[in-house]
Amino acid sequence: MSHELTRKRDGAVKFRVELVWQGDTDDAANAASSIYLTADGRVILQGRTVSREERAALALPPDGEMISVDRPLIRAIKDML
Amino acid sequence: MFLRNYWYVAASAAEIGRKPFARMILGEPVVFFRIEDGAPVAFEDRCAHRHLPLSMGKLVGDRLQCHYHGLQFDRTGQCVRIPGQELIPPSAKVKTYPVTERHRWVWIWMGDPALADPARITDFHWLDDPAWGAKASYLHVKANWQLVVDNLLDLTHLAFVHESTIGNAALAEHATVKVTRAPNNVVVTRWIIDQPAPPTFVKVGGFTSNVDRWQIIDFVPPAFLRLDVGATPTGTGAPEGKRVDGITMRNLNAITPETEKTSHYFWGQAHDFEPHNAELTEKIFRQIETAFHEDVEVFSAQQRNLDLCPDPPQVDINADTGVIQARRILQRLHDEERAALHVTAAE
Repeated sequence: MSHELTRKRDGAVKFRVELVWQGDTDDAANAASSIYLTADGRVILQGRTVSREERAALALPPDGEMISVDRPLIRAIKDML
Repeated sequence: MFLRNYWYVAASAAEIGRKPFARMILGEPVVFFRIEDGAPVAFEDRCAHRHLPLSMGKLVGDRLQCHYHGLQFDRTGQCVRIPGQELIPPSAKVKTYPVTERHRWVWIWMGDPALADPARITDFHWLDDPAWGAKASYLHVKANWQLVVDNLLDLTHLAFVHESTIGNAALAEHATVKVTRAPNNVVVTRWIIDQPAPPTFVKVGGFTSNVDRWQIIDFVPPAFLRLDVGATPTGTGAPEGKRVDGITMRNLNAITPETEKTSHYFWGQAHDFEPHNAELTEKIFRQIETAFHEDVEVFSAQQRNLDLCPDPPQVDINADTGVIQARRILQRLHDEERAALHVTAAE
């Protein structure tokens, strides 16, 4: 949070909301990555880019941008949106 | 919708004394008083004989005497005297409620008395902590309690409802908001970076240039909202945890349903700078009080419209994220409480 805010000092931040879902335990694996609701109406998910090698290994389409998200994030989407 | 197995604030400690005090809580009439050792007691406010509110009666020692025919009830709610009659029916008793006193408030448990563990009382220590200056008050609200919870979880309204005190446009246009949803808790963290301070912050904090402002809202069911709010001169490190040369306050809120359409709103404001400066405490309190009266007008107007058209369709916006999560938690807890009640009844 602090790092993001520091970077935004040079320009006024637009209103945006971040959602974080925490499960029943303190287990870090139970905490979902963030979901961002932006002022321009988008829902942005935090995930990891799927590399060219992973696409090949998993027989995924080679084109288009793809991200991998954790299962807790899917649960969070179902529970929160 | 009421959640019963929770501690609620019933009154300020000063409201309860040796004169019976009536207050409706979760749709039930309750009478409060203190016995001679100072301990608070709560009864159903209805005589077991002919239903007159016991709050119309008076205390005789540790007994509450009904105003109508003089029946006397001891602190357990048992009738112990019927004038002119020696035999007292065992059924001559009134319902009692667990009550306890903490943080200058009297708390009541409206659910199953066997579950009334005082350890479950939500912490509001700022109200009686000598490291903080604090003042608390009460507002009667002509609106459902969840409208008050909604209000405190979405502080963008400060920009419009409270622009003369604690609000300004930056709150709605330039805030970064993080909503952390746990199974039984929602925390909404708002940062407004490098923006002008609102009027109240200028008055009590003396800010002359832009500030970094935070609003961290901690929601605990059913209706407790503890706000960590403040500001520091911009760029001095508040987002990184360095709160220097600024002001930090706690805005403390406990909402108790009176009926489905009216609420008791207990609130307080605490500050950690110059905590023993009573004049400053009063000055801050008055600023917030002004804002809260503005809120009460909003709640009443919302309720009037809801009365005309219950459950109308409504539009949700990004700023409602915390509100929506809190409402889901409350609905789930209500469903669980009802389910448990049905299981108990079936047994």
